Amino acid sequence: MKIIDIVIKDLTRSFRNAGFIGMAVLAPLMLIWLVYFAFGGLFGRTSSGPMIKVGVVNADTLPPGITRDRSLGDALHDLFFNAGTESWIKSGEYEDEPSVRAALEREDIEIGIIIPQDFTENFLAGKGEPPIQIIGDPEQLATARAVQNLIIGMLEGVVGSQIAIQTFTTHNPENDMQPDTAQIQVLAEGYNSWQVEIQRELFQRADNTALVMVTPHSSKTAGSMMEEILGILMAGQMAFFAFFSGAFSMMSILREEEEGTLGRLFTTPVGRSTILAGKFGAVYLIVLFQGLVLIMIAHYAFDIIWGNPLEVLMVLIGQVAVAAGLGVLLISFVETSRQGGPVLGGVLTVLGMLGGLFTSGFSMPEAFNRLALITPQGWVIKAWKIVMNGQPLHEVVVPVSVLIAIGMVMFVSGAVRFRKRFV
Amino acid sequence: MKAVEVRNLKKSYGELQAVNAVDFTIEKGEILSLLGPNGAGKSSLISMISGLLTPDDGDVFIMGYSIMEEPVDAKARLGVVPQDIALYPDLSARENLFFWGKMYGLRGAVLSTRVDKALEIIGLKSRQNDRVEKYSGGMKRRLNIGVALLHKPDVLIMDEPTVGIDPHSRRYILDNIKDLNREGMVVLHTTHRMEEAAEMADHIAIMDLGRIIAYGTHRDLIDLVGGQTRIDLILNADSELYMQAWESVDGVFQITADGRTISVLVDDSNQVLPLLFETASRVNVCITAVDIQRPNLETVFLHLTGRILRD
Repeated sequence: MKIIDIVIKDLTRSFRNAGFIGMAVLAPLMLIWLVYFAFGGLFGRTSSGPMIKVGVVNADTLPPGITRDRSLGDALHDLFFNAGTESWIKSGEYEDEPSVRAALEREDIEIGIIIPQDFTENFLAGKGEPPIQIIGDPEQLATARAVQNLIIGMLEGVVGSQIAIQTFTTHNPENDMQPDTAQIQVLAEGYNSWQVEIQRELFQRADNTALVMVTPHSSKTAGSMMEEILGILMAGQMAFFAFFSGAFSMMSILREEEEGTLGRLFTTPVGRSTILAGKFGAVYLIVLFQGLVLIMIAHYAFDIIWGNPLEVLMVLIGQVAVAAGLGVLLISFVETSRQGGPVLGGVLTVLGMLGGLFTSGFSMPEAFNRLALITPQGWVIKAWKIVMNGQPLHEVVVPVSVLIAIGMVMFVSGAVRFRKRFV
Repeated sequence: MKAVEVRNLKKSYGELQAVNAVDFTIEKGEILSLLGPNGAGKSSLISMISGLLTPDDGDVFIMGYSIMEEPVDAKARLGVVPQDIALYPDLSARENLFFWGKMYGLRGAVLSTRVDKALEIIGLKSRQNDRVEKYSGGMKRRLNIGVALLHKPDVLIMDEPTVGIDPHSRRYILDNIKDLNREGMVVLHTTHRMEEAAEMADHIAIMDLGRIIAYGTHRDLIDLVGGQTRIDLILNADSELYMQAWESVDGVFQITADGRTISVLVDDSNQVLPLLFETASRVNVCITAVDIQRPNLETVFLHLTGRILRD
């Protein structure tokens, strides 16, 4: 019971500390809100990612004798000028290659697409030359890939319809059917419609089928790009400030020593182990409370989808275990609250950087990802990525188990040091 | 059964023997003042008696319970008022009292009643919901005492309770101590102010350099100096230069120099005073003022240690 009294007292003091509330809750939310605001959202329910500016040169023409109503170049051109892509691609027409290259130089566009003359004839004949050129900034690979995938998707549909037509005409003699040009055209268009429809059904999106990402092991489909980025950034910020809260809360024992209240506690008929247990309990509860608040606010304010509730809870528990445990261990090495500042600011920031908490929204080299796992922060962000990726429960168990194990080791080490000092 | 029994208590910090084999007892219903200069070892001794510090040797018994072997029972009967304010500044007076009351095992209606009563006694009822950080120094001191009284301890330890406060608050605190004692509470009270010890205590223990050098009633201690009188001579020069001249004067038992003041202990001030003036004349130093004091605790301390109490 006295442990609970001490926990309640410490929680009360923490929640009355405006500086602590600012750092524990407001700071991570403010950082995420700034990113959210910078990309066009406030507290809106939808957000859009950045627009890709594309310039298209279409030199292709429909050769005679080809059973199509328009050239592939025209079809590709229309791909970049329709309602399905206008939410993320802003397209402009250009006359020739020099003009599109000039637009790239001026940074009027980011990607230039040059559809060569006779592309339809050569593509349908199975010739690889001349190819469609996609020109852009070599550092904007992700953008170029997105455009490339769009083009490939369309061309694959063309190839698919060719196969369908060929199959149909191969079996025509058996069926005594001699399809004419119009019928083949209807067949090709029917195939294209079927392909689009089945993609929509598979990936559950009404449009932008080329942009839907399905995680390899789960049924979760990705939300908007902005929500994805915000989600993982939020996880990184939450983890960073969780470690801060753990250490700051544990510093209360040093502050009480300096205030004289710790000494006074030792003169009461409360065992010193009980006093320490109460202080440790408060640390864990504060970090848990902080995590719950941030998860809830991030979900309702920024539409961040954390994932399966059970998995989220597991990762949160792991985060609490390791953040509080590290706090207990770090502060056990500190003599005064003044010394605690460098610990909070220095050690935790360095560990956070090594652990990848500040680069969680970016694709980092594998070596960096491995290095991150020498820190507890690295395991926290790994666990959050697994959950937010929609990966199944058994894949979450490993990092969460590691977190709890590391947390326990750190807690026990810190608690032993505190016992030696105070008991 | 004694209320407090201190047996052979020792504590050292490296080479420094802060408390050296201290023994004393306090009877039920008594006030004991522990008197001594700064650095005498009073705080270390009090810390060990209250269970804050672990002694190197010895033990303390509070109402028969050993602080080493039965700390919970012993501490339950102790109330401690530390020298420095030990309160939570971001909690209100009421919240502080509730928390500390719970640490002493009080709950529910009993705790609530005691808190209300304590607030009345210390005069903070109208400010009970204000945070302690907004209180004046005197108010904090009163609350500091109030916390120690919530559980109605058998023994109250007060470490320099009147240091650094105004005379009105000081008077308030001392009167409260007497009232509590009249109700049966045993009080161990440390101070470096001899007049406080003389006013308050049934017994006085004088401590210096880690040891109890004298113990008894005020009368007993005064009698130690055998009715000696203290004469302070204020010179117009550094007294250390002329100390030797007065050492050989008949009737001088002890002499100390401090700045421009020579202090001597004498049996008969009427006989010795003219001799002191003659000596001054002989060594060519001017006596600018003379102070003759009846025997007091400072005289006792000077007699026992050769130093004045106000170090």
